[in-house]
Amino acid sequence: MTPTEWAIVALALVGAFFGGVASIGIVRLPDVYTRAHAASKSDTLGAVLSIAAAAFAIQTDLATIKAVFLLVFMFLTNPTAAHAIARAAQDQGIEPWTVGDEEGES
Amino acid sequence: MPVADSVTVRNTVAYAVEQAESAAREGQQPVSLHLVAVASTRAVDPDAQTELGQAKDLLDRIEVWLDEDLGTAPPSNLDVKLGVIGSDRYLFSPGDYADAILAYADEHSIERVVLDPEFNPGGTTPMLRPLEVELVRGDIEVETAPVERPARSTALARAATLPKYLTIFGASYLFYMLLSSYKPLDFLTGAITATIVTALLAPIAFSRQPSLTRIPRQLARLAIYVPYLLKEIAIANLEIAYVVLHPSLPIDPEMVELEAAIWGDGPVTTLANSITLTPGTLTVSVSEQAFDIHSLTGSAREDLFDGGLERAVRFVFYGREAAAIPSPRERGQGGDGTVESDIGDPEVADDD
Repeated sequence: MTPTEWAIVALALVGAFFGGVASIGIVRLPDVYTRAHAASKSDTLGAVLSIAAAAFAIQTDLATIKAVFLLVFMFLTNPTAAHAIARAAQDQGIEPWTVGDEEGES
Repeated sequence: MPVADSVTVRNTVAYAVEQAESAAREGQQPVSLHLVAVASTRAVDPDAQTELGQAKDLLDRIEVWLDEDLGTAPPSNLDVKLGVIGSDRYLFSPGDYADAILAYADEHSIERVVLDPEFNPGGTTPMLRPLEVELVRGDIEVETAPVERPARSTALARAATLPKYLTIFGASYLFYMLLSSYKPLDFLTGAITATIVTALLAPIAFSRQPSLTRIPRQLARLAIYVPYLLKEIAIANLEIAYVVLHPSLPIDPEMVELEAAIWGDGPVTTLANSITLTPGTLTVSVSEQAFDIHSLTGSAREDLFDGGLERAVRFVFYGREAAAIPSPRERGQGGDGTVESDIGDPEVADDD
């Protein structure tokens, strides 16, 4: 395998890892706010790394440029979506989970 | 016309006077203009003195305005009366106010009510019908004075100008060409598309005049900011991964508030998104400069109030000098108030 291919595989694997972290986080974390953390951060990096792997793999100028634009828009839209969710939760009056609530949660 | 202190009461009085004056000059019959302050409390109420005092102050001011508006020679058949009504009972809803005004109008055979558009007695709750609607049940003509009121919403986009057209056209043309296949036809379709985009977006894009010197500088500084942000994002993800995969789930979430020293839509949006992407913090809501931020761990809160990100965003949008404003902690936010002195060159200070 060439170094480029190694890089592609590494990027894809790390991207998949962070995508997995995001999924596990959504299951394990206690409330909507903490889950939004997992969804906004790990998911962004997971998707971005996967797209970067794709950009290297395609190797034609045009498609690579398009992939880079995808990256940029991921960075712009993902935090905005997380913010929208968290803000909707706040507007609904949902209290954030704190360590003191631990007994009540399972 | 019922009067109350508001931003438009001066212009509404001027309008009412003008209407009355022209009516008086047209016909021979006497015209009378009643300007009344509507009191919500009864005169015997202990709080009434304050309210009646305010009403009297307002009526004194209106008297001065009347002299201004009517000039030296008012029409002889125009009669202006000032007074306070409604002090014989308590008024709560717009309906109560309408009752008081209609009763007064009946008594003095008034044909027309001029309303100040900012006159909202009894509040503007969605449950209650507003005063204008309540007044319609009386046998009387109701009119809201056509006065200009200052906009209370955010600034509208400036009128479209040539630099603005050029900026939008250039940006959309460039974007189109980047995604095209560089055939000759693409240059033509790109130009057509960019023209349509410009025509559609020019009225709403850019609340400020785009400056051809400021934007490239901001873009250059943005290019410095992006690697820093990427580094922070990488750290954020390792932290989240550690927290999420740790068997005991070591989190300590808390909602904190941050009063950020940045201004304007662009910088605030950038900071809010950056906060969301970086270690353990999530922007929940923003109003003006106050950020409600949900933080996942204690160390995330520390980082937030150290202000590295905030300083970096200031650096991007306002330049190097602005980056040296004290960090949120030094401005007395974020709990314990320990003062650190790491003000300096942003690129150096941000690396801790």
